[in-house]
Amino acid sequence: MQHAVELEELGVQITEASRFLEMAQEQLSQRIIGQHEVIRRIFIAMLVNGHILLEGVPGLAKTLIIRTFASAMNLKFQRIQFTPDMLPADLIGTMIYNPKDMEFYPRKGPVFANVILADEINRSPAKVQSALLEAMQEHQVTIGSQTFPLQEPFMVLATQNPIEHEGTYILPEAQVDRFMMKILVDYPSYEEELEIMVQSATTASKLPVMPVVQPHDISRARALIDRIYVDPRVQRYIVDLVVATRKPGKYGMANLDAMIEYGASPRASIFLLLAAKAHAFLQQRAYITPEDVKAIAYDTLRHRIRPGYEAEADNIKPDDIIRQILQHVQVP
Amino acid sequence: MAHVSPLLGAEGEVPPRITARVIPDSALVGDRVRYFVTVHHSEKEVAALEGFDRRDSLARYSFELIGRKHTSSFPLSGAGTEEFELEFAVFGRGHQPLPPFIVVFRDLQGRVTKRVPYTSSASLFIRALTDSSMRELRPLKPPLKPSIPSFLMMSVVAGVFVVAGMVLLLLFLLKRTVRNSAERVDSGQVAQRKLRKLGSSLSAGMPPHECYEELSNIMRSFLENHYRISALEAVTQEIERDLKKIGVAGFESIMNLLKQADLVKFADCHPDVEESRQSLNKASEVIRSTRLPKAEG
Repeated sequence: MQHAVELEELGVQITEASRFLEMAQEQLSQRIIGQHEVIRRIFIAMLVNGHILLEGVPGLAKTLIIRTFASAMNLKFQRIQFTPDMLPADLIGTMIYNPKDMEFYPRKGPVFANVILADEINRSPAKVQSALLEAMQEHQVTIGSQTFPLQEPFMVLATQNPIEHEGTYILPEAQVDRFMMKILVDYPSYEEELEIMVQSATTASKLPVMPVVQPHDISRARALIDRIYVDPRVQRYIVDLVVATRKPGKYGMANLDAMIEYGASPRASIFLLLAAKAHAFLQQRAYITPEDVKAIAYDTLRHRIRPGYEAEADNIKPDDIIRQILQHVQVP
Repeated sequence: MAHVSPLLGAEGEVPPRITARVIPDSALVGDRVRYFVTVHHSEKEVAALEGFDRRDSLARYSFELIGRKHTSSFPLSGAGTEEFELEFAVFGRGHQPLPPFIVVFRDLQGRVTKRVPYTSSASLFIRALTDSSMRELRPLKPPLKPSIPSFLMMSVVAGVFVVAGMVLLLLFLLKRTVRNSAERVDSGQVAQRKLRKLGSSLSAGMPPHECYEELSNIMRSFLENHYRISALEAVTQEIERDLKKIGVAGFESIMNLLKQADLVKFADCHPDVEESRQSLNKASEVIRSTRLPKAEG
């Protein structure tokens, strides 16, 4: 069978260019036990310039994962704890008066880093949330009258407690939509927890994480990802999945019509394609298959589907809706 | 109640005797009353009543005949008794005279021997439906009890349900068995037929990449119908996982075919006609081999 020459060459380049990820994963696996899927998703988002919303109860090593990831990737890390009394200036920076020069100077806030952990983003008021989300979208921040570009790569990993927790401000749908993926962090398995306990219950300081990635590795990977081949069948499959969240009846799922208040936006199609490309890159493939799309469909769509009243009454979650959609939309 | 007994004499015969009474002797407008007429006569004759069938005469008396009964008996030798029970609906108001009638006697050959007109001197008091009479508490009749005992009824109903349920279950099982067997036989045959048609299209100039796409669809339809897995909505990895779970014969060959088709569909691969034909033959072989053990079994 004659393979496309370009794709064969691209495949070789991808295999070579994705080695740094294997090394980074090795570094991470020395410090993090389990949570392989979460780590894989973080790599995917990093490769295509996406941001991640992490949801899970406290104590599941979310901060540790992100801190170790940033260290292994040789990226500047900042953790910002969001609180109800926080102001936008605490995040992006402010103008400071210098009495010597009798002038105002900009003091950059913690958002000026490569990897930002926005811890408990739903504890801060809307103004602070929107300031961060604007920075995520524009990759630049304005302090006073000056605009500063953010460092590249720039990636935000926001954690949020489940919304039923008290003292939280629900993120507006328009802002949640800017996150490429929403990852549900679950408890480790029994064996994993046993290993975590044995490894962590020590007073000895941990060995530092070795940075194994150079900045050009990421930019090179991104350039290769852009060249990954996407067949029109797969493109249509992605659009079918996204449209099915809005008009499930069109795809033979009339029972979901009343279950969905609103479906995923066109941004979902874009992110689904980007994430599928990055997934294929991690698999060292120069083309996307529907498997890549299905693999990241839950994480890319779950925060973009709002279940309706009937779904809430029947305790139907977005993941249940996505599962049904994936089972009904015909794969090319 | 009215009671009258006029006596009629005849030569050497028991004279007929007629008595009449009405129950009750007062009623509300629209109520029913029963009029009992008893005729005693000789054993050589029979009696009948006339005059109640004429609606105009009854209307004059505010009575409407709604039922009648007649019984005969011969308690003493040489004498007979006829009892007539007439049911009337009553109308009008105040004292109303009872309707007159004629007793017709016939001999045993059916010839009329005599006709005796009879008018009762008694009357019936009919009360109008006034406010006070409307408020009277009328006793409710107890509900009619079914002539069949309830436990028997219940068991009959339960029996009917059980029989109906069994019939439905039997039909369902029968339908499923027939459908399953039909589909299992058909899925392979259908796939083979489609493969043959695809081979002809390939010979007729169908582009090889289109052939692979169609081949993938045929294989997925076959797997879905034959192994009852969701293959049309599943990606190759999911099909691989499901087939592994079932432990399918020719698993490697099936997966090779699907992966080849994936390369053509998604990785811009260009197979030639000969490769396409080989894949079609391989698919045909795989389908045949998966069907053989079932046919033998």
